[in-house]
Amino acid sequence: MNTDIKILIVDDEDNLRTAVKKILQMEGYTVSTAENGTKGISIGSSDDFDVVLIDLKMPDISGMEVLARLRQVKPNTSYYIATAYASYETAVEAIKLGAEGYILKPFTPDELLHDIRKGIEKRRLIIEAEELKREREANLLELAFERSRLNTVIKSITEGVLVVNKDREAVYFNPAFIKLLKADELELARNVSDVLPYPIYEMIDNMLNDSSSEIKTQSDEFKTDADGDLYVEVSVSPILGNDHSMDGVVLVVNNITTYKQIELLKNQFISMVSHELKAPVAATLGFLEILTNPSIILPETQQIEYLTRASARLKSLIEMVNDLLDISRSELNTVRREIRPVIVQKVIEEVLLLFENEAAKRNIAVEIKYEENIPLINVDPNEIERLLTNLVSNAIKYNKNDGKVLISVHKSAKYVEISVEDTGIGMKPGEKEKLFNEFYRAKNEFTKTISGTGLGLSIVKRILDYYQGYVNVESEYGKGTRFIIYLPYIDEHNTNQH
Amino acid sequence: MSDKKVILVVDDDVDILEQTKILVENAGFSVVTAESSNEGWLKFQEIKPYACVLDLMMEEYDSGFILSHKIKKDAHGKTIPVFLVTSVANATGLRFDATTEDEKSWIKADAIMNKPVVIDDLISKIDEFYEKADAVK
Ligand SMILES: Nc1ncnc2c1ncn2[C@@H]1O[C@H](COP(=O)(O)OP(=O)(O)OP(=O)(O)O)[C@@H](O)[C@H]1O
Ligand SMILES: [Mg+2]
Repeated sequence: MNTDIKILIVDDEDNLRTAVKKILQMEGYTVSTAENGTKGISIGSSDDFDVVLIDLKMPDISGMEVLARLRQVKPNTSYYIATAYASYETAVEAIKLGAEGYILKPFTPDELLHDIRKGIEKRRLIIEAEELKREREANLLELAFERSRLNTVIKSITEGVLVVNKDREAVYFNPAFIKLLKADELELARNVSDVLPYPIYEMIDNMLNDSSSEIKTQSDEFKTDADGDLYVEVSVSPILGNDHSMDGVVLVVNNITTYKQIELLKNQFISMVSHELKAPVAATLGFLEILTNPSIILPETQQIEYLTRASARLKSLIEMVNDLLDISRSELNTVRREIRPVIVQKVIEEVLLLFENEAAKRNIAVEIKYEENIPLINVDPNEIERLLTNLVSNAIKYNKNDGKVLISVHKSAKYVEISVEDTGIGMKPGEKEKLFNEFYRAKNEFTKTISGTGLGLSIVKRILDYYQGYVNVESEYGKGTRFIIYLPYIDEHNTNQH
Repeated sequence: MSDKKVILVVDDDVDILEQTKILVENAGFSVVTAESSNEGWLKFQEIKPYACVLDLMMEEYDSGFILSHKIKKDAHGKTIPVFLVTSVANATGLRFDATTEDEKSWIKADAIMNKPVVIDDLISKIDEFYEKADAVK
């Protein structure tokens, strides 16, 4: 039985080596010997010894160094230092270097065997503990279906997954989990309390402590980056065993950053809308309060002027609400389109009719110029009418008295190009950039008396986006502006083939 | 103009501007109006008003902040109350309320008031400002 146990003796004294070897062999141990430190190191590191006995004083290298070198490669072996020169310092140093103990020369066979047995037992315990740990990890892995197909699947999904057992130890997790929660320190069998952010650990802990019979999945949202770049949603669900008791919990982590960003934009839009809606209401209310304030006496003409101005504000409010409804319909994709081939020139003429009066009032000349052979475009005629109405309305509204509006239609390789050009107030370069933003209205000395909601062009943009068209703007402050609309047309070739 | 105290009101909404003018005049002050922050700054230097009421959102969403900052740096501006009015205090997503010390010191306005301005509030805030200033003397 004892032949399984290997012992190495490193000593330069021939007599002692042979004597010790004999004693140990009689006990049935397998014994090797080395007659100096160098050999001791080479033999000691080439095999797994249970116990190594090292003489402190050897001619080539000291026993301490042999001990230190062997410990590095064979940490689980039990080492003993043997010496005739006992001192407190050498004892302490030997223990520090990892020796199990210290054998004082000369020693009796019993003293030797006592220490050797102790060393063997110590090594057995260490090895057992290691095996236990390995076995346990293997079990955990098995429980988490390592090597199975399912594992491969879970490893490749973008959602983070973590399984935690009742002892709050990580039993399984996938790479996405580490990435989403930046839990680089997570490892199998490790307690998750010091690896996960506390609020997430709390969710796990609460569920594991829950003794009620019906435990439901819990979800919450977290920001995982200090700078707030990443939002995740974490759901924790119980894993129930055959006896319906909880074996552990499973966490699923979703990246919801994009969704959060959209939510923020939406909130900003809502606050902007509220502000824009409030302005005309406040102005109207202000006029009414002044008109009903007994301490303010106004001449009748002024009273009428204020009432007129109040109703103008309310009219613009209604227009804005209509525009907003349009926008919300297009956002929700509930616009009912009746798409059919449309002759652009016809729509233009219809739109111009609407503005005849207004243009005449300010003596603005409107001119139309069509090229020949303008192809049809496939659109909802109402939508194109709305688009052109907005452009023509701007060309007249932001024009000067006695100004001009020129509308021309041109065919290019892919698009029907509609240009609406005016000789009006124009825009500064900075103003041009924000033109298509909701509620944007250029504020300069010309525009302050012109009313509008700032939604017209944002609707134009939305309509063009839907039809894969685009718009270009050229403008010079004080001189005029030109909008060019590009709409894809029906390709005769293609349609004929179908 | 008489010896009435002059208040400068700056707002790009001409209707609100006119209403504020009537109400403040009705309370016994004389009013000078401006429709943009540039015009406001010019009028401020010209008339050296007794108080300023500035709309927050004009050409830009923070034009009022910038104008009040400029006024409060001016020698005369330091001695008068400057009020910002806004309809979007506490609005979601956009931050216009002066909450941190940093923002307060940067903005320099004496109060941020909600639109529409309640004239009695405005008058009592002006009085308060001057009472405090007198007490310090
Ligand atoms: N032809 C133009 N010439 C000069 N400025 C223009 C022209 N068209 C648009 N703008 C500028 O772009 C801004 C945005 O235009 P948009 O049509 O979106 O809004 P609006 O005309 O103010 O309001 P509405 O929603 O009633 O059309 C205008 O306020 C104006 O400052
Ligand atoms: Mg418009």
